[in-house]
Amino acid sequence: MRSRHLTLPLLVLGLTCSFARSAEITPSGQTVEQVVDRYIESSLQEAHVTPAPPADDATILRRLTLDLVGRIPTVEETQAFLASTNPNKRVERIDRLMNSPGFVRHQATEFDAMLMNGTKGSVRAYLLVALSESRSWDRIYRELMLPDENDAKLKPAGEFLRQRVRDLDKLTAEVSCLFFGVNVSCARCHDHPLVADWKQDHFFGMKSFFSRTYESGGKLAERDTGLVKFKTTKGIERQAKMMFLTGKIVPTDTLKETPADTSKKKSKKEGEKKAPPPPAPKFSARAELVKLSLEPEQRDFFARSIVNRVWHRLFGYGLVMPLDQMHSENAPSHPELLDWLARDTAEHGYDLRRLIRGLVSSNAYARDSRWEKGETPRAALFAVARVRPLAPMQLAVSLRLAVADPKTFPASLTADEFDKRMAGLESNASGMERLFEQPGDDFQVGVGEALLFSNGERIQKELLADGGDRLLGRMQQLKNDEAIDLAVRTILSRPPRAEEKKLLGDYLQQCAAKPKDARQQIVWALLTSAEFRFNY
Amino acid sequence: MSHLRRSHFCGSPMHALDRRGFLGLAAGAAAFAADMTQLNVLQHPLLAGEMKKQQKRCILLWLAGGASQLETWDPKPGAPTGGPFRAIPTSVPGIHISELMPEMAKRMKHTCIVRSLNTRNGDHGGAAQLMMRGRRDEANLKYPDLGAVLARELGQADSQVPDYVSFYFATEGRGSAPGSAGFLGSRYAPMELYTSMIPENIRRLDGIDDLDHKRRGELRESLSKQFAKGRASSSLGSHGEAYQRVRGLMASEKLFDVSREPQKIREKYGPTLFGEQALAARRLIEAGVPFVRVGRAWWDSHGENFETHRELVPELDHVMSALLDDLEQRGLLEHTLVITLSEFGRTPGINASLGRDHFASAWSATLSGCGIQGGSVYGKTDAKGERVADGEVGAAELFATIYRALGINHQKNYHVGSRPVPLTEPGTKPIKALLA
Repeated sequence: MRSRHLTLPLLVLGLTCSFARSAEITPSGQTVEQVVDRYIESSLQEAHVTPAPPADDATILRRLTLDLVGRIPTVEETQAFLASTNPNKRVERIDRLMNSPGFVRHQATEFDAMLMNGTKGSVRAYLLVALSESRSWDRIYRELMLPDENDAKLKPAGEFLRQRVRDLDKLTAEVSCLFFGVNVSCARCHDHPLVADWKQDHFFGMKSFFSRTYESGGKLAERDTGLVKFKTTKGIERQAKMMFLTGKIVPTDTLKETPADTSKKKSKKEGEKKAPPPPAPKFSARAELVKLSLEPEQRDFFARSIVNRVWHRLFGYGLVMPLDQMHSENAPSHPELLDWLARDTAEHGYDLRRLIRGLVSSNAYARDSRWEKGETPRAALFAVARVRPLAPMQLAVSLRLAVADPKTFPASLTADEFDKRMAGLESNASGMERLFEQPGDDFQVGVGEALLFSNGERIQKELLADGGDRLLGRMQQLKNDEAIDLAVRTILSRPPRAEEKKLLGDYLQQCAAKPKDARQQIVWALLTSAEFRFNY
Repeated sequence: MSHLRRSHFCGSPMHALDRRGFLGLAAGAAAFAADMTQLNVLQHPLLAGEMKKQQKRCILLWLAGGASQLETWDPKPGAPTGGPFRAIPTSVPGIHISELMPEMAKRMKHTCIVRSLNTRNGDHGGAAQLMMRGRRDEANLKYPDLGAVLARELGQADSQVPDYVSFYFATEGRGSAPGSAGFLGSRYAPMELYTSMIPENIRRLDGIDDLDHKRRGELRESLSKQFAKGRASSSLGSHGEAYQRVRGLMASEKLFDVSREPQKIREKYGPTLFGEQALAARRLIEAGVPFVRVGRAWWDSHGENFETHRELVPELDHVMSALLDDLEQRGLLEHTLVITLSEFGRTPGINASLGRDHFASAWSATLSGCGIQGGSVYGKTDAKGERVADGEVGAAELFATIYRALGINHQKNYHVGSRPVPLTEPGTKPIKALLA
């Protein structure tokens, strides 16, 4: 008991502070991007750092297209964007990309990777439906945590729990990391050594919400009662309360041992695959967690975590790093900004589109990724765009698109036709996706990837063929300088620079005896270049 | 220390001198390496040879499925759980092993048997991960396995040979223990050989000649260098480094080709797949590869345990002793740690199918060579082999000991983001008694 008494005031204090700040900060009514830039710029001024200039149009278009729809732009898209003199072209492009079905597909891939990385399952099928209806993040959370096994449409959401239900410690820890941005797994064995916030009571308090969840014949089920006991480091046995991370406790009389007949001895029928799922509990601990964690006084963890995760994906670095260490002793780089964004997101019904649109519309998002004068400022200042490795599906789709004849996606296509072709290309790319690794922070490219691109038969067959529908096929019909121009525009999504024209031109001349091979080698060198591999 | 029966002591002053001599030489070599721009070390045969020799490395003989400690390193002849095989004396007085291992019995001076593993996980998948990594993954944190840690600690960033190679040709249990670089990332991921003795994608395709292959690589690098200007990113750096290693790795294909070995050597290892892979492992570590795992499956003898072991143990005995002899004759054994390890051992109780089941409470592993007090036994099981009687060792202690034997600080921190992650759980102590 003693340690909880110690903890609670600390936590309450922390939360009160953050609310107090919220009240003083910029009033709502401003756009997300205005607020982002205001806070980021003020911290840059404080640090006496002049940020990198805005990235050029081709770079911005590539960045936006990769982040929003998960691929590089087509030659036509780049050309139209570069040619446009419309001062609102960036905003219009953001809206167009976000309104395309490709947005839903890519966001489903990204959120699936976030939620299911490290498991063998996927909730992408569910996310596709949820995101196409623009369901809010709190609803998605609720549906993942409380999947209705009888509803065929919601069943795929159950994969989130099903993949973790056999290890309740893991389930507890991962839900805390993914939805609340905190890692309490250290507190399983002892109070956190460095973070006063996390006591064993928190870990086992959180575990109490999950300890009644089990799997029966492939279906999720939950018991009416359950009790989590643990031993403190001093060897004293304690009973966990049903307690959220804020210290708030759910009053319940269901904290008792599950009668042996319902927990241990599952009836044969219950274990069979075809049997209906066991009846829902009268009192669902998981439902209590969902309800409690979204209450206005408790929702900070939930709101701040999703803001930080989406920010991290789009900027390559979180407002709090690491993503699962959002606690009082690991302050955000921009506390007011995080508070504002969390409040704004919660007040706008956890609308992911609003958050994403706001972040990619900011000046902070659109900076150049080069820093040529002196030492690069620290990442938390967001003074310069980060170079981010492409995720497996971004890379696989971009590779497919880069080697396709640009005429596959002419300007004349209607939006529907364009999307249909793009969806086809994406599904062709999904086999190659498995060849690449999901990047984490400080991702290191392995030599396996370099060997695959250098000597892999699959790369040769799927990316370097020169059939009629391929970039290479078209290049073979062109003169050297035209072929180089087309290759760079298609693969790197920008016009070639003078020094590249010379470098590539010299290469083709050197290998004049084997012009077809030489062009293939140029395509290979562009596809395997660092510029292609990263979002910059 | 009471549980160490140290019958063959190798703590002579000569040994200490060797160690100092080694340290001095290594420091000299490092200083020299720093000046490699002036002189290509690898073209300087004497020094290159010396540097390669001094580098520490490790071969893991992975007995997948769970080898029986009772039919190998911890026989219990006469006990009701003992099974039909006898125990035989070894070259080290007082140490007995199964009669199925007569060759190893003659070579006990290099090996320490750990008889007191209690690793508490009897499930193939979880146990294999535990014994490959020395710990259990956490939420949001996947640990690197032994090979990945050694690749990072003992390998060189720009190495022209692979730094983690894993042979695993059997299909059984392959999914249970894939090599994993965990949070160290794919830079340290294993080169895994599943079906062919030639690594995947190491050989140039027929469609491109060597000159073009090289030239297009240079073109790629010129383009990428342009891009890297003004962009500081370790991910970006790793991309360039990965491609820079390609040509060197392609040249290392010959290391996998055991037909380049003299017939006499090949005969010593024997014509089995396990033998050939152990020989390939020696070729690799000799060329500077810091870690090789040779997987031999499938030891999971729920039925006919004694028939299974009558077949597999003599092969292990033959291959392991050939490997130790070969390493010793080349002066490599004192720098190379050879480990035999499984995901768990087997039950002392014999089931109705004359099998032994999964058993993680009292089982054995061995460590030979580099940094190890050879000719010794650590820990003890009770008369029937049902539990550890003395000197219990968990996965963490075993790994700490392996790291220390290879000169690596087992408490060293890695950083995942800003979070320090120690190589072994805080408080873990290596088993000093079995370190040389």
